[in-house]
Amino acid sequence: MSVVTVQLGQCGNQIGHEVFNAICSDFHSTHGLCSKKENESYQEACKERFFSEEKTGVPVARAVLVDMEPKVISQTLSMAARSGCWKYDHQSHFCQKQGSGNNWANGYSVHGPRHKDAIMNLVQKEAEKCDRLSGFFTVMSMAGGTGSGMGAFVTQCLRDAFPASFILNQVVWPYGTGEVIVQNYNSVLTLSHLYQSSDALLVHENDAIHKICAQLMNIKQISFRDVNRVIAHQLGSVFQPTHTSEGAVRYSRNPLGDLMESLVPHPEFKMLGLRNIPQMSENSLAYSTFTWPGLIKHLRQMLIANAKMEEGINWQVRPPLPGLPVSQKCSPSRAPHFNTSIANLVILRGKDVQSVDVGGFRDAALYTSWLNPQDAFNVWKTPRAFNKYEKSAALVSNSQFLLKPLDDIVGKAWNMFASKAYVHQYTKFGIEEEDFLDCFTALEQVLSSYASL
Amino acid sequence: MVWGTRLSPELWRLLYSLLKQIHEGGCTKSDTIDTQIRFVKSVLRYHGYGRSEFYQLPSDGSVGSRELLLAFSWLLHRINLLEQLLSVNRVKIRDETSLCTGDSKLGECGDNLLKSWKGMTELAPEPGLKNEVDIRYLQWLNGRLRFQWRSLHVDYQEQCKLLYKIHVYTNGSHMDQTVGHFSVTETDLIRQPDNYKQLMQLLESETSRLEAFLEWKQLEPVYWQWMETVLDTMVEDVITCSAQDICSKKTTLANAPLCYCSADNIVEEIDQLTKDLVILGDGLCDVVTCKKSEWHEKIKGRERELLDEKEFSEAIGKIHEAVELKLSELKYQCAHKKNKMHGPCRLVFKDKHPASKMGFGRSRAKEALMNVSASELINELRMKEARLEKELKQLQEECRHKLTEVVDGMDSMICIPPMKR
Repeated sequence: MSVVTVQLGQCGNQIGHEVFNAICSDFHSTHGLCSKKENESYQEACKERFFSEEKTGVPVARAVLVDMEPKVISQTLSMAARSGCWKYDHQSHFCQKQGSGNNWANGYSVHGPRHKDAIMNLVQKEAEKCDRLSGFFTVMSMAGGTGSGMGAFVTQCLRDAFPASFILNQVVWPYGTGEVIVQNYNSVLTLSHLYQSSDALLVHENDAIHKICAQLMNIKQISFRDVNRVIAHQLGSVFQPTHTSEGAVRYSRNPLGDLMESLVPHPEFKMLGLRNIPQMSENSLAYSTFTWPGLIKHLRQMLIANAKMEEGINWQVRPPLPGLPVSQKCSPSRAPHFNTSIANLVILRGKDVQSVDVGGFRDAALYTSWLNPQDAFNVWKTPRAFNKYEKSAALVSNSQFLLKPLDDIVGKAWNMFASKAYVHQYTKFGIEEEDFLDCFTALEQVLSSYASL
Repeated sequence: MVWGTRLSPELWRLLYSLLKQIHEGGCTKSDTIDTQIRFVKSVLRYHGYGRSEFYQLPSDGSVGSRELLLAFSWLLHRINLLEQLLSVNRVKIRDETSLCTGDSKLGECGDNLLKSWKGMTELAPEPGLKNEVDIRYLQWLNGRLRFQWRSLHVDYQEQCKLLYKIHVYTNGSHMDQTVGHFSVTETDLIRQPDNYKQLMQLLESETSRLEAFLEWKQLEPVYWQWMETVLDTMVEDVITCSAQDICSKKTTLANAPLCYCSADNIVEEIDQLTKDLVILGDGLCDVVTCKKSEWHEKIKGRERELLDEKEFSEAIGKIHEAVELKLSELKYQCAHKKNKMHGPCRLVFKDKHPASKMGFGRSRAKEALMNVSASELINELRMKEARLEKELKQLQEECRHKLTEVVDGMDSMICIPPMKR
């Protein structure tokens, strides 16, 4: 049940590094709050998933690092090695001597094909190290230039080379007021291409994470490192070992498969949002206690009201009464409305996890009409606490979370495209206007599917 | 002979426990007599037992010991009950895998599929208030199936990898030179020698089962003679019970009791089947003539198009290639027909030819053990996959064509195909 991580571009490499950090520090955590046997079982599962053994004894992350420039990769490699707890395989990276102009089309049509063999060789080597390859986890930003373009191409290559494996793409959504002027074009192109090759897209919005840093973690000068750490914490709380069925004795050996099967079997609905509760600075953690009913109640309302964090939740939003026709539900352009779900997965870690009542998530009113809660809702548990949080709950949701943000991005991109602004940057490298139109159509279809839930 | 009623529940339980071993393996002791009876009846119906008196037996198991005896004898003969039980309970020391190229008779493949009986009794989820099922739900379920298949694939790959490791590490250690390496069970035994006691027990019990079977084989003719007398008494009972006979013809085929249906019923069924056959035959003739005329039309059409000689010869060339490809495939198939195996076989690792397989005694032929190399099989399966893919693409094209035709007929509708990769 090993997962091979492919870190793409600057964003992907920095986040990937933080993810392995978070996993490793959780691995060594002495606040497991569970029996020794349970802890050992957890650690063994965690190790098999993310690290391979090496003669030196230091666990080696199962990862391939890809970037066009050498700077970020060498930083990442050395930071990991310095930690002493884990490191990367120093052979397992690919980069060029010089960058490539931050251009999506250049990344997708030129650099991708040119370096395909080298990159896929590295991936194949990592895959062969695994006794049991559960699948691939890629990390990238959506709106960047070469990282996103190459990332989309590499995902396609992964799908072609491993048709029977699971592929999960973690995608970072740019700041609304981002620096790259063509970020919306890049986002549209990336998402539409990923939708074809990937099984699921797990999205993190920079704006939302930024708010978590500011309001929950009380960080004054928020750097990218802080944002990446929050993302890493959230991802860790999903990927660390769990028992995926009631009464299971062993930790799941098929993490990606279980995730996919419970959330994204339908090929039109692949967008996943992630919420984690509680999140706070380490100082405050020592003085806080939580109850499971409180956590579950907050998490449920976060789902219903589409809140990004546990502060500022709109408690007025209620599930609609049964029997209302679909047309009465709001369209994406209107004010906040009830967030209809297709499927939800709740992951509980820590003390007294057996006694938690998640009945609130089994309410049929939360879900779309064609899926009943039996099929739509799953819960994974482990008594082993995660990263110093005595109790923590994560929600991975296939719902209308991303409907409005996606609609915004597609709208802005379309406005730019209508005046053909900057399009020559793409046609120069082989992405024609027709291809743009295809991408817009594909995303409009996604929007329409989610809107009509 | 006195047919004691206390025998009936015992016989039901016996049949249940035997049949469970073949289908699904392992009894659930908590099953009520009712569930057990239903299970036994469903298995017998699956295997084609047609005696209505048996199915009419009450579900509390109080009567019917004679019917049960008949059913048991039928199973003995029809599905080789004892041989199957021996095979299912075999002690497995060697590494095995099961082979299915999908070409074998439906019955064999079907057996493998139907070994798990549970799925049969669980019904589809209730549709709820609507009578129809939303297609999106079906797509959801289809997606789940695909993912589960992938997880299975991951399981198989892991198994292969680990098996390979064991075979390579233990190469050269086995006493049997033709094999050369240990199997998983043998390796496990070396790591934990104390387990040999358990293995010995299993082997001893298997040996005693086999000895009992040999004894049975010697006494078997006596059993069938006795069964004939049972049938005789049954026939007498039937005659004395009803004047108008739905008579049961006693046949002496192979000393075995066949399923007894009324002769009238059989004749009716045969008539019906003959009629169906004739209709099918006519239908086929019609289809053939239709296709022939279509083909002629097509050819005429093509001839009109291909007036250009160059195009014509190109087209002929392509047809030649396609035909040669198909011919070579056929030749290959015919040449390798004798290698069509189905069922379990033993896995042996050979350095020169990576992993070959030796056939088990499952094949009735008395020829020497058949060796099939895994690479040959893989090639065969790959060719088959390519053929099926081509067929799938053709069918998909046809569907797309139909869809565009349908959409053309509608106003203000366009059909947007998914993104090309």
